[in-house]
Amino acid sequence: MTTRFISYTQNLQILSFFRDMFYHLGKTFSRFSTEGKIGICGVSLIILIAVFAPLLSGYPPEKITGKSLEPPSAAHLLGTDELGMDIWAQICYGARMSIFIGLAVACIAGLGGGALGILAGYLGGAADQLLMRTVDVLMALPSFPLLVVISAFMGPSIANVIVILVFFSWAKPARISRSQTLSIKSNTYITAARNFGAGPCYLVRRHILPEVLPILFVLIISITSYAIIAETGLAFLGLGDPTSKSWGMMLHYATGFRSIYFTPFWQWWLLPPLFALIFLLLCLAFISRDLEQVLDPRLRKNGGA
Amino acid sequence: MNEKDRHAIIFRFVLTLLVILALNFFLPRMMPGDPFSTTSSDVQGEDIVVMTEEQREYYISYYGLDRPLPEQFLVYLSNLVQGDLGQSIYYKMPVIQVILLHLPWTILIVLCATALSTVAGVLLGTLSARNRKHGSDRLMMTGLIGFAEIPSFLLGLIILLIFGVYLRLFPLAGAVTPFAHYTSVLDQAGDIAYHAFLPVLTLSLAQLTGVYLLTRNTLITVSTKDYIRTARAKGLGEKTVWTRHALRNALLPVVTRTGFMIGMLMGGAILVESVFSYPGIGSTLRSAVVGRDYPLIQGILLVVAVSILLCNLIVDRVYARLDPRAAD
Repeated sequence: MTTRFISYTQNLQILSFFRDMFYHLGKTFSRFSTEGKIGICGVSLIILIAVFAPLLSGYPPEKITGKSLEPPSAAHLLGTDELGMDIWAQICYGARMSIFIGLAVACIAGLGGGALGILAGYLGGAADQLLMRTVDVLMALPSFPLLVVISAFMGPSIANVIVILVFFSWAKPARISRSQTLSIKSNTYITAARNFGAGPCYLVRRHILPEVLPILFVLIISITSYAIIAETGLAFLGLGDPTSKSWGMMLHYATGFRSIYFTPFWQWWLLPPLFALIFLLLCLAFISRDLEQVLDPRLRKNGGA
Repeated sequence: MNEKDRHAIIFRFVLTLLVILALNFFLPRMMPGDPFSTTSSDVQGEDIVVMTEEQREYYISYYGLDRPLPEQFLVYLSNLVQGDLGQSIYYKMPVIQVILLHLPWTILIVLCATALSTVAGVLLGTLSARNRKHGSDRLMMTGLIGFAEIPSFLLGLIILLIFGVYLRLFPLAGAVTPFAHYTSVLDQAGDIAYHAFLPVLTLSLAQLTGVYLLTRNTLITVSTKDYIRTARAKGLGEKTVWTRHALRNALLPVVTRTGFMIGMLMGGAILVESVFSYPGIGSTLRSAVVGRDYPLIQGILLVVAVSILLCNLIVDRVYARLDPRAAD
């Protein structure tokens, strides 16, 4: 009897947790501007395409399923490329690539950099100095030329691209979460909590994280678009993973095709990845702009830290 | 800017430069394999050079690879100071010459784009700040912010497709018409401008929003200041108030921004040049990447990175000169 009762209350708790979550999500969503709503819908659409790529594409992206350079038709929605691979299938699977690389880089760099920043801000002293000097140098480095050289030497693979992009993007979240931690730490309620015997873990979890996480979340979205742009740029230069069909690689192959501009091929080979990329980046930008205002009104005042 | 700040800026510059040099030096040495196996397997067809152990040792000592790494690094630095960046594999000539051949084109479009986007950004920003209670300001702001989110090389592709491919108004590639005979210098300049137009337009559009927003925001801040009210109270015309009193003070951050912009444009030019097949160092970098011409890739990185760093350093110094408040 008691066990059933407990599980019943647990169910209720879980239910109310989800209800609260949806309530908050709905409330947050309604606070977005029209552009922000478009952005959320657009990104969700692309994520759905990425998740259900095998169902939506109709063809495997790396198999030759038609004649070379067929124009769009009922069989091939967006036509085929020079090897006869379906372009709509490549777009679907390319969405996976862009979303995966973007999110992986952003989460590792955002959360990792954020954790380092909080640690440095909380500890202070030599660790803090060391981290801040490293961040200074990293932020002064011209990132794109270095990206090109490092990935040229490390060889094209998705893991390498992610590692390099993380290396170049953790500095900003680290710096911002450090300065936030420092300003929170100087508050009197932290001293009060400490006098009541609060340990470092409790202080970070209860007081620092809730303040820093929203800002990190906004940063994660902007790092996502940075990573997608950088991956596309590298792939466009020919430094992407040659076995992957990312949107950047599609641009690389299409623009590398001889006399593409003198034939009608660009209309179905070059335009789809181009529009897909621009659509995704615009949606992400709309979201991050709105999130800055919804989650943290102070960012608006300071003009973005 | 006090003495301490200046030292900190120069210290950071030197440190960043050292990091770039060290990356450039250690990356190739961290790679698996050694330079001799790649050189020999690069030879196509039958005459594959197989080195004997003696030859290998000779070359290793010839290139100084048997000496300790710090010593090699010093040799590398002294070569750099003398302008020796190594030999390009593809062009079969010194890297520095390849770069000097292509750099002027990049400098040309970067400077033009800087000038164009600064002038246009300041004009639009002033216009927007003056009409900030009208709908035209909001429209302009939303439009320009949207533009800024498209990375420059994707924007370049769209511009190329519209003006070069669809409308056929501008050339698709190159910096000059091949095999052209010019009747005058003016004719030649016209041809260069005609070819540079689309890349410059792309780079300017990519930077326009930053200048525009900066001008608009500083102007709006400045326009609430007391001395603007004083100027109006003195009976000065609206035009004088805006140009002499407001804009002059608002331009200071724009100057700083222009310096940083040159640096950013150097980076952005790499991809934009590849889009337009414009023969600057960006396109050279793309072909070097495709041809795996590592010495050339490294040389280009060094030139681009150092020029970006130098621009930022100069900006810091110029700002101190321009703003008397920063100087003390």
